[in-house]
Amino acid sequence: MINLRDKGADLWEGWNRPKRITFVFALLVVISLLPFAGNFSFSSFLNTPSASYQDVLVYPIGMFILMALGLNIVVGKSGLLDLGYVAFFAIGAYTDAILTTKTHLNTWQVMPIGIALAMLSGVLLGLPTLRLRGDYLAIVTLGFGEIVRIVILNSSITGGTNGVASIPNPPSVLGQKLDLNHSVNFFWIVLVMILLVIWMIRRFTVRRPGRAWEAIRQDEDVAILMGVPILRYKIWSFSIGAAIGGAAGVIFAAKVLVIAPDMFTFNVSVLILSCVVFGGMGNIWGVVFGATMLAYVPQRIRFITNARELVFGLVLIIVMNLRPDGILPRKKREKLSARKEKSA
Amino acid sequence: MNFSVVGGQFWSLMLSGLMLGLIYVLISLGYTMVYGVLRLINFANSEIFMVATFAAVWAETGLFHHPITSQPLHGFKLFYTFVATLIICMLASGLTAVVVEVVAYRRLRARGTNRLASLISAIGASIVLSESARILSHSRPQQSPRLLEKTSLGEFGGANLRVDTILVVVSALLLFFAVDRFVNKTRLGKALRAVSMSEENSKLMGINLNRVISIAFLIGGLLTGAAAFFFMTEYESTKYNVGFNLGLAAFTAAVLGGIGNLRGALYGGIALGLVEEFAAAVIGSQWKSVTVFVILVLVLLVKPNGLFGEAIQQSRV
Amino acid sequence: MSEKLIELNNVTMQFGGVRALDEVNLHVNKGEICALIGPNGAGKTTIFNVITGVYQLTSGSISFQGSDLKGLKRNIITKRGIARTFQNVRLFGDMTALENVITASDVHKKSGLLGALFGTPRSRREERESKARAHELLEFLGIDHRADQLGKNLPYGDQRRLEIARALGTEPKLLLLDEPAAGFNPAEKKALAETILKIRDRGYTVLLIEHDMSLIMGISDRVIVLDFGQKIADDLPRNVQNDPKVIAAYLGVPADAS
Repeated sequence: MINLRDKGADLWEGWNRPKRITFVFALLVVISLLPFAGNFSFSSFLNTPSASYQDVLVYPIGMFILMALGLNIVVGKSGLLDLGYVAFFAIGAYTDAILTTKTHLNTWQVMPIGIALAMLSGVLLGLPTLRLRGDYLAIVTLGFGEIVRIVILNSSITGGTNGVASIPNPPSVLGQKLDLNHSVNFFWIVLVMILLVIWMIRRFTVRRPGRAWEAIRQDEDVAILMGVPILRYKIWSFSIGAAIGGAAGVIFAAKVLVIAPDMFTFNVSVLILSCVVFGGMGNIWGVVFGATMLAYVPQRIRFITNARELVFGLVLIIVMNLRPDGILPRKKREKLSARKEKSA
Repeated sequence: MNFSVVGGQFWSLMLSGLMLGLIYVLISLGYTMVYGVLRLINFANSEIFMVATFAAVWAETGLFHHPITSQPLHGFKLFYTFVATLIICMLASGLTAVVVEVVAYRRLRARGTNRLASLISAIGASIVLSESARILSHSRPQQSPRLLEKTSLGEFGGANLRVDTILVVVSALLLFFAVDRFVNKTRLGKALRAVSMSEENSKLMGINLNRVISIAFLIGGLLTGAAAFFFMTEYESTKYNVGFNLGLAAFTAAVLGGIGNLRGALYGGIALGLVEEFAAAVIGSQWKSVTVFVILVLVLLVKPNGLFGEAIQQSRV
Repeated sequence: MSEKLIELNNVTMQFGGVRALDEVNLHVNKGEICALIGPNGAGKTTIFNVITGVYQLTSGSISFQGSDLKGLKRNIITKRGIARTFQNVRLFGDMTALENVITASDVHKKSGLLGALFGTPRSRREERESKARAHELLEFLGIDHRADQLGKNLPYGDQRRLEIARALGTEPKLLLLDEPAAGFNPAEKKALAETILKIRDRGYTVLLIEHDMSLIMGISDRVIVLDFGQKIADDLPRNVQNDPKVIAAYLGVPADAS
């Protein structure tokens, strides 16, 4: 089967520095201009029929990419199946909702608090459960996601079933307003967050944490015998994933202004998992691609909207059976030099 | 917190806990049978349960023309509707379980891919089932008609011994012991146990692995279907997501008893049913699933092998 | 006399009704190549597993460099200086040969997550050093030309060599080799013997499990023989070779065994 990721990587490897910089710069410009694509006839096919195209770019697309990147650290990089990822998203969202409505803090001030709380709950959940083997972890995290929702549903501070309304918008950034009429600005904020996360993951991957996660994913019994402190790195993986989910939640609440418990069901965890699996577990570009497709297509093609989860379930089965590494698989290639050596 | 209710309703809670527990036992056998042969959690088991609850509604209202509004049945009609619906439920979920195995597990097993892939594929199957049910039922709850009059046979320490409750308790126990005998006494049951001990060796002994695994799924499905029927007789309502909490609880029961262990599932299920009913009475029923979850985490932490089980997390070097 | 690096005192390992190790006493001296032999199921790999902390002892104790290993986590035991290879090769197949070795050498690194994130000077230096060292180890085992190939794509022999390189990556004081010559042809065995001698000359202590008698007799300073979980001999190679108990164990003669 063709490996698109390897093709891309080969191309990249063949380029010199100026070529690479130009490419990245051009790509960034194109992406940041995406919100305006709906205004021009040649690109208006991108418009979504039922929701505003610019909103769709922020939620679901931007949010899905962000969360899928976070979950990818847990599932793709470290091989830990977390089925309760929505919990961290919910914790971030409710932290923002409660603190911005009840105190004088604004979204940006709440951001670190939301991230910290999500991380903390990740550690608290991880400490007891990450000692367990895969399938137990999956079911415990699934339960955890549901518990967080039930707690939210039954507490007074979270507004119970009604949720929290009239959450204030974030203050302007660099003079750019962030409110209902300025979805474009939200898009740019989310884009910056995505880029930050990608930068962070790349840093981790090429150094010690990435190797530790990779070793744990491939064979945790051997990993620990080779001196990898597996529990510590699993907890790191879990809590970094949680932090990204929490950050996404904070922005989400600040964008939609009203949040309620039924936005944080098990389905969200599954959607994000599908994004990771579809695009290619463990590979950043695969995950970005997967999340974009799975977030955008149901918005563009209307009849899918109602059957969205059904389609996602099918995606999980089909991808696992036919192409378990996803559309853009993780690194399988060896460096050009190594391959030349072999063929010689 | 309200501990005083426990004193007054002790026997009544015991009875409802026992009944709920036995429903858990039957569902948890679905997890345990599959875990025994595959060493994998069948994530779709909760939806296999859901399918059978829908089958019950369909059989009773559609097949036997017994609409929601009608009076409970009597005599022969009651008997055959009862038995036939039970069988239909069991077949529906037994068949679903076998299909799930073929679609979500078999190919991956043949290729020898890692556990993560099988887990994700099973979750996919579970979502496909529940979402199909959601779309078909327009997210609306489905009521099942009352089959038998819920007359009381008497009272015991304040507990109302209703005929349906007794029926569920007795039939569930009968089913459990039937399966227990099957696994321990018959040739096929021995093949199941052989596979659960060592897949490699049983292959060498000429056991047809695919067949044995299908049978494990089938039996697990049949029992889960029976549980669904009893559940519907008792609670008379279902929804596309009914399996979620019940599945989590039944899985907890299986872990509590030691997953892969039949007798363990019996004790684990009953224990969990009792704890859940008492906890609901004391701290409020909205916290039911929280209680279950806390128990699950505690068991996994303190005694991950369950009370009767084999080692579930030994490292293999 | 020479200094004891590791010492097992009355080590017993019970699995249900089976006694895999029965009151075993043995030690390995610093700088020595010690072989562990015995028929299948004698408990050789179990010794490796109790030393590396995979199994918790039923009774007895293990002391390494004078301190007890009891209750230590497996990764800490590795950090203290014990590394092993596996009977059936268990590399990180999706990592390159180089990454396999670097992952093992991470055990002594001080920089962690934040270092990696912000690229602190220490993190950069450690990454650079471990890369150089990994290349050096691959070179030492003669597989540096495989550095960028994935573990699972290496030829079988190189996979075995890479396992040794990976174990050396943790800078062990004691190296445990579990049947390193399994599946090797005579020429490869000869090369392996030389490698093991070179490893010893670099200052490592080696305890190896092996079935190939000529390999063992050629390189070991001492041979320990296990049978049914008990130590039945512990002597110089040529003495062990002629020990009637050892011969009996291999031929299955003793009355209580058959």
